[in-house]
Amino acid sequence: MARDRAKACELDQEKYDADENVKIICLGDSAVGKSKLMERFLMDGFQPQQLSTYALTLYKHTATVDGRTVLVDFWDTAGQERFQSMHASYYHKAHACIMVFDVQRKVTYKNLSTWYTELREFRPEIPCIVVANKIDADVKVTQKSFNFAKKFSLPLYFVSAADGTNVVKLFNDAIRLAVSYKHNSRDFMDEVLQELENFELEQKEDDGPGQGQQEGTKSLAAS
Amino acid sequence: MMCTAKKCGIRFQPPAIILIYDGEVKGKSRQRIMPVRNFSKFSDCNRAAEQLKNNPRHKSYLEQVSLRQLEKLFCFLRGYLQGQSLTETMEQIQQERTIDPEEDLNKLDDKELAKRKSIMDELFEKNQKKKDDPNFVYDIEVEFPEDEQLQSCGWDTESADEF
Ligand SMILES: Nc1nc2c(ncn2[C@@H]2O[C@H](COP(=O)(O)OP(=O)(O)OP(=O)(O)O)[C@@H](O)[C@H]2O)c(=O)[nH]1
Ligand SMILES: [Mg+2]
Repeated sequence: MARDRAKACELDQEKYDADENVKIICLGDSAVGKSKLMERFLMDGFQPQQLSTYALTLYKHTATVDGRTVLVDFWDTAGQERFQSMHASYYHKAHACIMVFDVQRKVTYKNLSTWYTELREFRPEIPCIVVANKIDADVKVTQKSFNFAKKFSLPLYFVSAADGTNVVKLFNDAIRLAVSYKHNSRDFMDEVLQELENFELEQKEDDGPGQGQQEGTKSLAAS
Repeated sequence: MMCTAKKCGIRFQPPAIILIYDGEVKGKSRQRIMPVRNFSKFSDCNRAAEQLKNNPRHKSYLEQVSLRQLEKLFCFLRGYLQGQSLTETMEQIQQERTIDPEEDLNKLDDKELAKRKSIMDELFEKNQKKKDDPNFVYDIEVEFPEDEQLQSCGWDTESADEF
């Protein structure tokens, strides 16, 4: 039933161009706690939309940023490898990214570089927050340095979906970043992409700078 | 029916799950023997536990006994049927209930992934602050100042251009 309702507006990504809409994606390996973090932030106030074919859960949230109402769609994605082909649609038109690893599992930290590379391929400029989750399991990790965030000058948040540490702050900051990115997007690639979307596919083969073209095609394939 | 579970264990011969509980009469412990049928050394302990827990005759008695504990008891029985020592079975259970930190969970199918997540749930639930806790706080902000980060996480590679 929920799925039928989802079908109707399934992955309608046009709306993310509207002023009051932002899209925030939640990425990271399987079982790092993306879904638990979402649930902790939204508590009961959420009615997620399960889009199983896209290995995706959509959470809708209304926030107020500087007195303005913002409609936020959180895209809670699945880390499992077999959904790799869906990734393009995750990134499409996203305004901010929350990238999570599990402080108890080194592999999930190491894989950040793969997630990040992919993110930047599709969305070169959107704000990205690195999240070290499950600090309740070992609070000592909060006194350690994680070079990945430093290397790419990304903010790093120590959080726990279990006890709630910094979860609300994380999401509110992500919303703010998404909104401000959207309003002063200096992202050339994204502008090119928008331009390109107004053209027919054939025309696009001829016009526009090479890189943007590539990106446009990629995203179109996804939508 | 009011029933306070006190202890739950397993008997190997003949196989049965045994529950010690306080019944309606205060201070008087009672024992309930639940025979285990159709269980072999190849059986699935989780399924056996689920079946027992949902058994209409035992259901109300087992409300306070976790699925996890029942599963463990069935694992002991299975170990016994396989001719393992108690210590061996104990080690095996321990191992099955720990997460291998090196394992890449992205590659698992849904069932295996769910299994790993249920192991993680144990700690999650232990540390979880629930909404109905009297001292629940929705927005908890804790600062972890960077200058206190004396040590490297140990997960970064030595070389400068890798993280
Ligand atoms: N101790 C602890 N465990 C957590 C925390 N957050 C999540 N977990 C555990 O990690 C498991 C996986 O969390 P999920 O939220 O399902 O992970 P996910 O990132 O959504 O995983 P996929 O959807 O498979 O990509 C949960 O079943 C919890 O047991 C946390 O803050 N602390
Ligand atoms: Mg999830």
